This record gives sequence, structure tokens and C-alpha cells, in this order.
Amino acid sequence: MRFSWGRALTIAAREYLTTVRRTAFVLTLVLTPLGYALLMFIMIRPQVDQALRAIRSLERMAVVDSSGALDRGATELRTVFTPERMPFGARGGPAAEPQVIRTEVRFFDDAPQAFAALERGEVQQVLVAPPDFLATGAIRRYAESSNVFTGSGVERLVQRWVARALLHGRVDSLRIERATRPGLGMALYTKDAATGAWSVHDESRELMGFLLPFMCSFLIGLSVVVGGQYLLQGVSEEKESRILESMLTTVTPDDLVVGKLIGLGGAGLTLVLSWVAMGAAASGPALLAMGVSLSPALVGLMIVYFLLGYLFYASLMTGIGAVTSNLREAQQFAFVFTFMNFIPFYLISTIIGSPGSPVALGMSLFPPTAPVTMTLRLASQDAAVPAWQIALSIALLLGSAWIALRLAARVFRIGLLLYGKTPTLPEIARWIRHA
Amino acid sequence: MLEVRDVVKTYGDRAVVNRVSFQVAPGEIFALLGPNGAGKTTLIRMITDILKPDAGDILLDGHPVSAPGRPPIAYLPEERGLYRKVKVVEALSYYGRLKGMPAADATRESLALLERVGLAEWAGKQIAALSKGMQQKVQLCTALIGSPRLMILDEPFSGLDPVNVQLLEDVLHERRAAGATILLSTHQMNKVEQLCDRALMINRGHMVLYGTVRELRRRHADHAVLVRAAAVPDGVPGVTAREAVNGETKLRLAAGTTPQAVLRALLERGVEIESFAVESPPLEDIFVRVVQEGLGLDGGRSGPPTVDEPAVRGGAR
Repeated sequence: MRFSWGRALTIAAREYLTTVRRTAFVLTLVLTPLGYALLMFIMIRPQVDQALRAIRSLERMAVVDSSGALDRGATELRTVFTPERMPFGARGGPAAEPQVIRTEVRFFDDAPQAFAALERGEVQQVLVAPPDFLATGAIRRYAESSNVFTGSGVERLVQRWVARALLHGRVDSLRIERATRPGLGMALYTKDAATGAWSVHDESRELMGFLLPFMCSFLIGLSVVVGGQYLLQGVSEEKESRILESMLTTVTPDDLVVGKLIGLGGAGLTLVLSWVAMGAAASGPALLAMGVSLSPALVGLMIVYFLLGYLFYASLMTGIGAVTSNLREAQQFAFVFTFMNFIPFYLISTIIGSPGSPVALGMSLFPPTAPVTMTLRLASQDAAVPAWQIALSIALLLGSAWIALRLAARVFRIGLLLYGKTPTLPEIARWIRHA
Repeated sequence: MLEVRDVVKTYGDRAVVNRVSFQVAPGEIFALLGPNGAGKTTLIRMITDILKPDAGDILLDGHPVSAPGRPPIAYLPEERGLYRKVKVVEALSYYGRLKGMPAADATRESLALLERVGLAEWAGKQIAALSKGMQQKVQLCTALIGSPRLMILDEPFSGLDPVNVQLLEDVLHERRAAGATILLSTHQMNKVEQLCDRALMINRGHMVLYGTVRELRRRHADHAVLVRAAAVPDGVPGVTAREAVNGETKLRLAAGTTPQAVLRALLERGVEIESFAVESPPLEDIFVRVVQEGLGLDGGRSGPPTVDEPAVRGGAR
């Protein structure tokens, strides 16, 4: 018998429908994004709340100025929280009014008085500027407690007050404003790699310069892994349930491998695309407002890298599922390859920061890491990937995927008919030679 | 017709199947016998084109089994399984569609097969909900769907109660009547005697028995008769030895003595005979003897045998 697309598509349809109808699939589809949103809520909400609480709790601050440098300091500190700075924390949504928190500053003649006030709870912190403050810069702040997540907000507040106190009455108010927030109006212009034109490198764009490649490559990596896992599971179950032998008089191993690749890959892709759709529905307007868009060329290349990456990894998973004796063992072997797919994320700063470096180039050409690395580089806004690198990377990945598919089909035929112990590498090599 | 010619399969330096040749005619039920590890499964896997022989040819209707467009083969392996979380009718129609049937036809035939094996009311249930015997019948249906020309059934009776064994026998007879060729591999020798026209037995990869079931039993008979009578006298001409076997007397005959001559001699002596039969050992005894004594096709010690092929009985009933 020869390979038949009709049989392969019949198998693909069955594999797809059987998988997407499973309760586990539906639960994964729905619960994963819900769980992620819940996690974000649990992580971010307390942080924002704690930061707000830390500043609110600083109702009064005592200042002991032995240096005389801070004697013109304001007697009130104001902190403004705009709704955008309070995800999950703003009541009434983004249109709500900004929250203003006021902190009173009380001057004390000496430290004992200030500490007595601290003991009585009249003030929450004490700032002590010693006589040599101007010369040395040394200044002490006393607080009952502080922690790494909430302390920086209060510290920035106090630093700004010190800066204003130092300058008040000595320079004009505009200079004070500029000196205390020097970065507020600073615009960074960068050169567009493609056009050579200078344009404003704003914060959101900088953020997206990291987030967009990260999201795109994560999407590719996740799709490849999810599809591959379904295949691993499908092949292992087929082997454990011993269905294959009765089918092999009706279908060829190639029919089965191709059918499973299409059907289970489709199920994995359905899962990931559903998550993308949910994510886009939730954050799409914000992304559009930030001017985020994917070029057709990038989308096209992402599809190519997804298909080839999936074919490569899914073929490996098919082979692993066929030679191992049960799903647990199969997953242990598969972990090594799944890990390789995600190696580029460990080197993300090198790949995005220096897209032309030997590390980035090597990982772009090495088939197991190519899909994620190349997507990272291609989606980076400031990097222009040379065409020859794209072509060579795709060619190497295509060749590897094809070889992996052929080897998987050879191992699949014999592996699924042998029950019991997992074969050794020389045995697998013999199967490949003789199949 | 299925034709296996001088087929060899080796793993390493061990010949698992060694120069095996036989033919199975259309409409024949043919038994493939052998002890565990004899090479039966490997031979079947080569016939079903799952494994490739190292040497020899396997032809179905004159075409190699690996050739495109060969007639469909159904195989019910000994190690078998089903998709468990699927409805019975869906599992069956899936096999039908893989065999090239349109979806509607596959569903229709699936329901008809389930009706035939008494599982119609279970069509919409998940396979996991079926008993072992029911699953066994569904597995049989996966082999039957699409009306294959050649059916290879490996231990089809295992796990079935006597009623379902009878049902399976009836189904096999129906399929044979419809022209299907059936290759039956089983250790239940009574079923072979009951159902099969001819048999091949292999041991350690070699052919050790091949012929009609009747021929095999006759060939391995002790040249004796079994007599049930009130008293069997001594000194019957042509009888070399006697022994009591289950209430009967077994008389071993001298070379050249026919059973008819012994019967005539007993009647002449006035023996009141209740029954008289030419002793013919059950296939099970022959199986055990051949395996234990390592006999080859010629009755000698088995080694690479000289194959003396008996004529194929086409369409025997």
C-alpha cells in the first residue's frame, strides 16, 4: 500500500475531533487564561495596594536639619496616583479621578524630640541631615519598617522633597521642577534601521520592542510544544492500547503519522489561537492605542516557522512516543527536546539586544532553537534580519524537519508493534536501517 | 488466492521464519498452527505487509501484498485494542472509512454488523462501557467491515463464551460462503478440526505439518483400531498389541494388515461389536507430539524441511 491523502485526512479529522471534544481540552482552553488572569490579579493587586498603603501610612515625616541645607523645604509632600498607575486598583476604571496623597513635614530642632514624636506615633518617619550633609551627602532616614516592594515609592518621595528643599529660594521654580524630574520631558530619538529616519523612541514603544518579540516567539514556542505534546500523548496512548496492528492492514504508517501530525497539530493550534483571541479581546484596544501592529511579512514568516517547527518537534515526539513503553517514560524523554525549544528565552536579552551576535545567529540556524530565535529577532522593532539568514535558517529547519519525519515514520512502524521494554539506541538505529 | 513462497525472515542471525511456503484457496478456512514463539505472528505480519520478508514472495491473487491496489486484508491480531472513549458505531465506521467506504455506507454497514453480532443496542455507547466479550465482538466487526477478501484472525475465540463462540463460527461460515478466504491462527485444536479445511503448523520458524486436517490425522495415526465390545479375544490375526483406552480396546495392526481384515476376523469369531473405528489421533495430540519430539514434515527430526506441498483444495466445504 502507498500513502493516501484520503486516509491521512480521515485520520486527521478523527484525531482532531476526538481531541477537541475531550473534557480536558475544553477545561485547558478555558481555565488556562482564567488562571493566568487570576494569577496576575493576585500578584499585581497586592503590590499596588501595598505601595499605596505605604505612602498613605506616611502621614507625617519629621525632619532634623543640622546642616541648614534643608531649612527651606516644603511642609507638605504630594503624591498623585493616576488610574493608569493602578491596575486592578482604580475604582471607577481609567476615567476615574487621580488620587492625591498628602504627607505633612514637621521640622524638629534636635533628634531626641523627633524620636520622641516617632515613639508617640505623631510622625511615621524621621529624616536626619547631619551638619556635614552638603559636604558628604550622608543623610539618615528612620522608619519602623520597610520592604523591597513598598519602600522604593516612599524613598523616591523623600528624595524629591530633599532636592526641592535644597534648591528652594536659591533657583527659580521652573529650574526646581526640571531638576527634581529631569527625565520627565526627555525624549529619546532613535534611527530607524530600515529608513534611516530619526523618530521618537517612546516608552511604550520601547516596552513593545521587548514585549512584541517575546509574545510572538512565546506563541510559536507554545504552539509547537502544545501540538507536540498532543502528538506524544496520542502516539503513546495508541501504543498502550495496542490498536495499531489491526489498523496497519488498512492504512500505512505514513498515513497514520501524517494524519496524526495534521489532526493533533490542528488541535494544539486551536488551543493556542483561542488563547490569542481571548488575549486580543482583553488587551487588543490597549495594544492598538500603543500603535502595535504586525506586518504581513512577519505574520507570514511566523506561520512558516510555526509549521516547520511543529513538523520538526512533532516528528520527534512521534518517534519518542513510538519507542517508549508508556506515556510517563515518553514525557521524560520529550522534556529534553521541549527544553531546547525554550532555550532562546533564557538568552532573550542577548538575542534582542544584539540580534547580529554569533549567539543569536547560531541559534537562528540551529533547527531546534531556530523557530523561537528567529521569531524573536524578526519581531524586534529595531532589528533587520539579513535575508540570507532567514533563507538559510528556513532551509536548515525544513531539511531537519523532513529527516525527522522520515525517521519518525520508520521508527513508528516497528516501535508501535513492540510492547514491553524500551529499545536501546543501537536497536532503534537498526530499525531505521531495516524499516 | 494467497500464496506464500519460500518466505524467510531473520532477526540478527536467527531465522524466525525459514523457507515457509503454502497456499490458501478462495473460500477456504485455513489454520496456521504452532507453539508460542514459533514465528506465526511474524509470518502473519509479513502476509499483512506490516513486515517485509528477507526472502521469498507473498502473493494475493497473483499480486505482491505490498503492491498498490491489492485486495483488502482484514487482520484481527492477538494483541488487540480499541479506542476506548469512542462510541461503538463511530469506531466501526472509522475503520470502514479508512477502508475507502463513504461515511454513510460505513455507518450503515457498522449498524448491520452490530445487529449480526447482537450488539445493536450498544451502538451508541462508549466502547469503554462494554464487557471484554462485547469488545471482542466489536473487534471482530472491525475486521469484517468492508467485506475483505482475506481475513486473518489470530485467536478469535479467546474471551468468548460458548454462545458467542458459536456465533463467531456461524459468522465465519457465512463469510466463507460469501467467498472470503480465512486464515485462522489458534491454539484451540478442536476449533481447527471443526472449522478448517487445511492446516499448516510451524515450529521454530520451520514448516512441520501441512495438509488437510483429515490427512494430518491419518498420517499421524498409530495404524490401530478402537473396538468397543463385551470381550475382545486375543490372537486376532494381524494384531501386534492391545491396550485398554477409555473403555475401548485399542488394537495395533501389523504392517500390511487393514482395519477391514481385523473387523472381519472379529466378526468371524462371534464378537458382539458395539463400535469399531480406525484410530485417528486428535489434532491436539499431533500438535503436542510434533512440538515435543521436534518432528519435521517428513516425520523425522525437524531441521530445514523438504517441502512436499499437498494439492490445494479450492473452495472446500
